Amino acid sequence: MFLRKTGWQAMAVATIAALLLSACTQTGSGTGSPTPGTSASASTSPVSKVLRMARNAEPFSPFVPWQIDDNPALFISVNVYDTLLRTTKDGTSVEAGLATKWESSADGLTWTFTLKDGVKFSDGSAMKASDVKASLDVARAGEKSAWKDVYVAIKEVTAPDDKTVKIALKQPYAPLLSVLAMFSSAVLPEAMAKASDTKDYDNALAWKTKGTGAYYSEGWKKGDPIILKRNTNYWKGTPALDEVRIEYIPDDNTRVLKLQGGETDVVDFVPFSQIAALNTQPNVKAQTFTIQQTAFVILNTSKPPLNDVKVRQALNYATDKEAIIKNVYFGQAKVMNSPIPQGTYYDKNLVGYPYDLEKAKALMASSSGSAGFKMDMQVRSGNTNFANTAVILKEAWAKLGVTVDIQTLDTAVVRTNYRAGDFMSTPTAWTNDMNDPTEIVNYAMRGGASPFAYWTRYNNPDLNDKITKADLEQDATKRAALYAEIQKIYSDAAPIASIAYLGATAGWRTNVDGFFIDGLSYYRFEDVKFNK
Amino acid sequence: MGRAAYIRRRLILMAFVLFGVTVVIFGMVRILPGDPAFLILGDRATDQKAAELREQLGLNRPFLEQYWMFVSGFAHGDMGKSLLYRQPVGDLVLTRVPITLALAGYAMGLAAIITLTFGIVAAVNKGRWPDQLIRIGFLFALTTPNFWFGILLILLFGLTLHWFPVAGFGETLPQHVWYLFLPALTLALQLSAVLIRNLRGQIIQTLRSDYVRTAHAKGLSERLILLRHVLRNALLSTVTIFGLQFGFLVGGAIVIETVFALPGTGQLLIQSITARDYPVVQAITVVSAVLVIVVNLVVDLSYSFLDPRVTYE
Repeated sequence: MFLRKTGWQAMAVATIAALLLSACTQTGSGTGSPTPGTSASASTSPVSKVLRMARNAEPFSPFVPWQIDDNPALFISVNVYDTLLRTTKDGTSVEAGLATKWESSADGLTWTFTLKDGVKFSDGSAMKASDVKASLDVARAGEKSAWKDVYVAIKEVTAPDDKTVKIALKQPYAPLLSVLAMFSSAVLPEAMAKASDTKDYDNALAWKTKGTGAYYSEGWKKGDPIILKRNTNYWKGTPALDEVRIEYIPDDNTRVLKLQGGETDVVDFVPFSQIAALNTQPNVKAQTFTIQQTAFVILNTSKPPLNDVKVRQALNYATDKEAIIKNVYFGQAKVMNSPIPQGTYYDKNLVGYPYDLEKAKALMASSSGSAGFKMDMQVRSGNTNFANTAVILKEAWAKLGVTVDIQTLDTAVVRTNYRAGDFMSTPTAWTNDMNDPTEIVNYAMRGGASPFAYWTRYNNPDLNDKITKADLEQDATKRAALYAEIQKIYSDAAPIASIAYLGATAGWRTNVDGFFIDGLSYYRFEDVKFNK
Repeated sequence: MGRAAYIRRRLILMAFVLFGVTVVIFGMVRILPGDPAFLILGDRATDQKAAELREQLGLNRPFLEQYWMFVSGFAHGDMGKSLLYRQPVGDLVLTRVPITLALAGYAMGLAAIITLTFGIVAAVNKGRWPDQLIRIGFLFALTTPNFWFGILLILLFGLTLHWFPVAGFGETLPQHVWYLFLPALTLALQLSAVLIRNLRGQIIQTLRSDYVRTAHAKGLSERLILLRHVLRNALLSTVTIFGLQFGFLVGGAIVIETVFALPGTGQLLIQSITARDYPVVQAITVVSAVLVIVVNLVVDLSYSFLDPRVTYE
């Protein structure tokens, strides 16, 4: 060769060096938000009390508590809006919120709530009983409310004076207190509550919040980080953090890497597989919190041979829950023994379906599926946990002569199919939105009408009656007995293949104190602070 | 035909291509199973509520009418309203296009530098260790899935060396340049892998041609020969590939934006397809198509600057 190669090589090296240098000098000149190199020290300094969180999803529902139907929106909502009662941290009971005292009349038809003194909205105006009435009225009867179903027992809400709210019921309704602790029962200023139901009230208006919660938002546009500012009028005392800044980072790995790199303080949805590894690293902690969530497979009981209870029971016995918990959830889950999550009235003594292949084979042999059959299992694309579960079940159920055909489909398609009944089985999960089992039993066990017992098409009139009875029953012991019966009947009928009770995961920098996911999977920033 | 006439003809052609794109994308998003109404309203929604929403969103109107609304709206600069976010699509998409464009442009810039540097080094060292090293190195870049390659770069430059941020977009212009470097490099390395092979081959071939020998005979310096005579001729086919790869870059950006948490059109497109947000999917697709067509036109025009003999007919 006739070229002076050294010259070109030097140029190549110089080019790369120049590039890297130009990039590195940016580290020093970065202004505004902290740079990775300096962020760890920035967040620990006493001056900056901005908590940075990276979340897996962005809200999309209109940001009005009773119009919300997506988790990212409701997780923000509980930090901005408050309810008369609150669910306790463990998620199994209710405690005082904006109401300090509540009592029912002897017939259980009228409830009287006394409001806490001196509660103010974030704009400084006082909260009155008329605000509570207006909010509950729009939540239960508003044109745009997504949660009307849970309020059907309410006949009337009145505000006899500024400090008292009375709720009259059409019939005794045991879950009332739990319903009032739901995010959809939040209190907004009267004018805002009423305006939220008008035709041209849009999300831009809704995000300029005025609540009694620990934080407020001045506005949010999709694609921007969500900025929550502390409410200095907060009735539980001014929060320690000046601001919470929530960024949307959809990729699980990227979120965790940002936490490790000190570019964010808290992340949600840490993959189960990474919890243990993260805890071996300095400055970072990860944890699984107990929440009321179940993972299971919906079986379409209208499709033979799944209409045969023995087939469904056999599938349940042949499900090695421990293996799935170990391999899919990396030990961060518990065996599911009852069809309802581990909250109020959950029956821990129910036997359920411990793994027993011999029993499963015997049941299958005496069933209408004894000759073996082919069954589709529709898995939502992008959900690795469901996909891995399906793979394990395919192998496990093959031992019963069932050929599982795993179909990975778009979530939209899976939803369309289960509405139409166009599927045989699909893995899914359920999370309680309230601490009372009324929600899950009415949605996932009551048959006859949409959603057809969570699309299983299971319909047992006797069970439906008991579900109604449990809603009306005022006596806690009798309710517990009814719910134990309901769990047993449903479990024996096996319209689902039970798998596990799941938890919610999160990770944070060790300089963050007090981050906690409660039993209903909410997290509140009111008690979060930096520890140095 | 002059350059002006050529551009005019290409623009007319572009109108036909865009018409095709709108028909295909409009049809495809509607053939996809899945009802936007239920995706917006959630599983609790009753059939009646869903029907009301479909009415409100205009989803139950005849297809032709919907198509006409889409195309005529677009012609007037109105991209409609997002079904999911109830925001004007224009606001959602147009704020994100610059991010994706910047990423693609940045990647092309880096790719050009990398390709020229390593392509020339490989060619002049044909068969020796620098050549082998470059070929093996870039083969690795080419065959590695880009999302994984991106994570490798984050681990090395973000977490271990702290030279670059892990992910995000930053707030000021210098920050954007700095935040976009790793994602752009991820795309650029893969793009360069294709281009370097081509440029190396072209240079080696050109070096053997008669006029290069003549140039040597004239006593021209080696640097001059390489830059003025060899590179300019060798570049022609590389530039063609370079232009064609813009479409690949916009596609690759979709994945890379998710890995590096960049708020570009890619992320929005994935969300919108999942949510069956028809107007957003349509808008992003059409805007991307326009961009790819325009870039290819610019590339075609650049030939005449590289090689004055090129005429447009």
